[in-house]
Amino acid sequence: MTQVHALPEHAGTPAPHSGGGVGVGGRPSRRGTRAAPAATLTRRRTAEALAQMSGNDASQARHIELILRQIDSLPTLPVVATRLLSLTASDESSARDIMEVVSADQALTAKILALCKQSDRGVRTDVMSVDKAVVLLGFNAIRNAVLSVQVVGMFDRPEPDGANKPGASGTGKPNDAGHFDRTAFWRHSLAVAITAEFIAAAHPGSADLPPSEAFVCGLLHDIGKLAIDYVLPKSFSRILELADLNQGNISEFERRIVGIDHHTAGKRLAEQWGLPHRLQDCIWLHGSNYETLPRLDHRRMVGVVGLADLMVRRAHIGFSGNHVLKQDPQELARKIGLDASRLDSIGQRVHEELERRSKALGLDDKASRDLFIQSIQQANQALGRLNAALDRRGAMASRQAQILEAVTAFHSGATPGSGVPDVVNSVAVSAAGVLGGGFYAVVCPGDKSDERTRAWLISQFSDQGKPMRSHLIEPPPEAPDIMSVDLHQPAAMNLMGILPWISDHLEGAPDLRSIKMLPLSCGWGTAAILLHDRPMLPPWQMLAPLAATWGSAIAAAAQHDGARRLGEDLAESNRALAEAQDRLLRNESLTRLGEMAAGAAHEMNNPLAVISGRAQLLAGTLPVNSREQKAAQTVCEQAHRLSDLITSLRLYADPPKAVRQQTDMGILLDEALKRVAREVRETRDGGKGAPVDLKIKSKLPVVRLDPDQISQAIAELILNAVQAQPKTGVQVIVQADKTAKQLTIQVVDDGVGMDGHTLAHAMDPFFSSKPAGRRIGMGLPRAQQLVSTHSGWIQLRSAPGVGTTATLTLPLDPEA
Amino acid sequence: MATNQMGDLTSKMIFTTGEAADLCKISQQTIIRCFDSGRLRGFRVPGSRFRRIPREELIRFMKENSIPTDLLEGGKRRILIVDDDEQILELFQDVLAQDERFEVKTAQTGYDAGLLTEQFRPDLMILDYMLPDVNGNVVCRTVRQNPAMAGMKIIIVSGVVNQDEIDELLRAGADDFVKKPFNTEKLLSRVTELLAL
Repeated sequence: MTQVHALPEHAGTPAPHSGGGVGVGGRPSRRGTRAAPAATLTRRRTAEALAQMSGNDASQARHIELILRQIDSLPTLPVVATRLLSLTASDESSARDIMEVVSADQALTAKILALCKQSDRGVRTDVMSVDKAVVLLGFNAIRNAVLSVQVVGMFDRPEPDGANKPGASGTGKPNDAGHFDRTAFWRHSLAVAITAEFIAAAHPGSADLPPSEAFVCGLLHDIGKLAIDYVLPKSFSRILELADLNQGNISEFERRIVGIDHHTAGKRLAEQWGLPHRLQDCIWLHGSNYETLPRLDHRRMVGVVGLADLMVRRAHIGFSGNHVLKQDPQELARKIGLDASRLDSIGQRVHEELERRSKALGLDDKASRDLFIQSIQQANQALGRLNAALDRRGAMASRQAQILEAVTAFHSGATPGSGVPDVVNSVAVSAAGVLGGGFYAVVCPGDKSDERTRAWLISQFSDQGKPMRSHLIEPPPEAPDIMSVDLHQPAAMNLMGILPWISDHLEGAPDLRSIKMLPLSCGWGTAAILLHDRPMLPPWQMLAPLAATWGSAIAAAAQHDGARRLGEDLAESNRALAEAQDRLLRNESLTRLGEMAAGAAHEMNNPLAVISGRAQLLAGTLPVNSREQKAAQTVCEQAHRLSDLITSLRLYADPPKAVRQQTDMGILLDEALKRVAREVRETRDGGKGAPVDLKIKSKLPVVRLDPDQISQAIAELILNAVQAQPKTGVQVIVQADKTAKQLTIQVVDDGVGMDGHTLAHAMDPFFSSKPAGRRIGMGLPRAQQLVSTHSGWIQLRSAPGVGTTATLTLPLDPEA
Repeated sequence: MATNQMGDLTSKMIFTTGEAADLCKISQQTIIRCFDSGRLRGFRVPGSRFRRIPREELIRFMKENSIPTDLLEGGKRRILIVDDDEQILELFQDVLAQDERFEVKTAQTGYDAGLLTEQFRPDLMILDYMLPDVNGNVVCRTVRQNPAMAGMKIIIVSGVVNQDEIDELLRAGADDFVKKPFNTEKLLSRVTELLAL
């Protein structure tokens, strides 16, 4: 049953007052449950009509024109009334003319006489003839009596389906079939007429308020309602229904449903009937605010009718269809310039007078006491309905407050810069708080930075909103894009239809039939989908802000995640860029150095060749072992040193490519030691012959590298250690680390060591700490360079007086 | 006088059958017989029946028949030095002059070197890699394409040592590479080694 109610609630969104109440708040108890299905159906039809009406403006304009034309085609007033109107409008008419007209219609005559008897002037009961009545009452009273009788009679035709049953009449509201209760309507109109007449009579000095005029104006003020009901009976009953349900102003619903209200419709009818202007304006303007009325001669008359209408409605006499009672009659009376103190006594006399006049018009024959009791009952009922409406609004407001509270709590719990998973957890906690404990899961797009995958993040929660499981899944190809998921029935949409496969990714195999989807939207689409098993949700217009809050938070977190990732990428790029720049700069200077060295090699080696060659020739001519011969030999040697320096500089700047081959590290180490021995022998630098102790800690692998270059690099490290004047010797420790896939060669000496400055510049070309620089300071830079072309590196640790440890590390699969 | 004559003979490029007989220390008849049978190749002077034998063919013939070539090759070995640096040229000349078996000529450009290889017919060329007009490997290749100079040895010298370039030179036909500055004794021994002295 509840489900049946919930659906149309969400369908009928256009009318702001039509939604909301029923499913949530208390229903008016007096209507009982049996009335509910019919009422629901009626409401649904109304919604359909509304949807059609609001379809487009052009069709609505045509609709109104149609209604107006139908009003124009209403039957004209009977001849007698028309004739009377023209007669009374003319000063030259005599009582005899009027009498003739009235007397021609016997039924009319009877009613006129009855009316006259019951009127305030009809205290005398002996008025038995029309002529006496005319003399007694005056033209206008007669005319008004005739108008009343004729107009009431004209609309008082039998109901086609006989639905206007006696039992339903007089209740002051439409019966179950929705028809307009004319009797109650006329009772209202008559009451307004009497009240207006009383008000006018209470102000005898006001020439613009003739009491008999006031009576007719009051009587006919709502004639527009009759016109609408006459032309569009079904629409009008819907109007009444809506106005009743919402305790609202009937004009508003008239305009919404049929396009015009009873004021306008009544004006058209009055124009067609040729009613006096004063009457026309009362019909047209009695519902307007007194302050906004144009400066008419009969402005106060319009105001009096409005005041009378208000007083009668507040007294709950009859039925007008209007439920708005906001204004205070006393205040309105003062605005109109009336004596407000008299209103109370007028209100007290209305019931009595109404009983008399009703009989005259043949409306009813209820005793005034009955009428009074009936009015009280109606007032009570109206009060009950009002209370119910207030209850509904109260319930709605409390739901809204709850939603607002949830939004506030959600926001206050949000940490700026939280990642998507954190925010999704907060959403689940918030949802469990607002909607109650149960099954919850959130589906949102995964990492959006990677466009190749469209993974979805599914986070499932326990009944208390505790995160249970969160994982990325690859949705099947037919799955829609979450962003573009558009759910027209957001709160009630079943999971089955859209994402049937998602149960594969949910833990505990929940019953899919009970799971529904709630889209969490953000500004540009659906940010995430909340899966839940709540059978009932707050109405969408209330839940929407919360869902949007959740959606926006998730979207914002996703954006933030993306931005953070982007920032990290940017920082990484910056680092890489800086390194590349560094390398570039280094390469550039190396390239220049290389070019320079190449040029120098060519230009300088020629003179060096001459120097060295001449010195050798000279040495050959000098006495063997003479000082001169040795000097010549020294010249030759130094020329070669200079040449070597140029060569190594060129090699450093433009290193040869590594020619890799499978190399046995043992053989390579032997080769390095041979190099060291050769160098020591040739240069006599390591002449002290520091012992070199080779320790191989693990089985040596076969490595793919350039044996010449690496053995040279190792030799340079050992040579450097040998030349550091070690106290005991040099240790070379070789170790292959299979797990780290690298080979380390440690060269340890206990020589002089290096201070911070030396250590910092040990890898710079031409830097040498050795006094007078017998070596050219290219050894370590060259070793470093050779190792780095094999993706390896050299680390130096040293302390003055303690010694130096140089660690050469080579990856075992350097090309990987 | 005979020595003089022989000396003249040793440097000749074309020989008569009589000269060839003297050098081979065999009879002229034998030479003629070998010439006619094709074992010793040569040509006849156009318009006459005189036989003439080119130097290379004679040397080939002598070696083939195990006749000592001392008289032909025992003379000074011709060495051409090509370098744009005059000081270098002088140095080489002085170094090579230590050995009296060498006759040395010099050139400063690739063009001059080309001319001299034709005229001087050097047994060995010491060639600077970087010449003003042409690169050493081009000279190497040109020389090697000429069959008449197939026996000439080439030593490249350069101040710039680049293993790739050295490999390329050796492929182009160079016999050795020497870096400047050089050890004079090593250079001399390398030259004599290449000339198989």
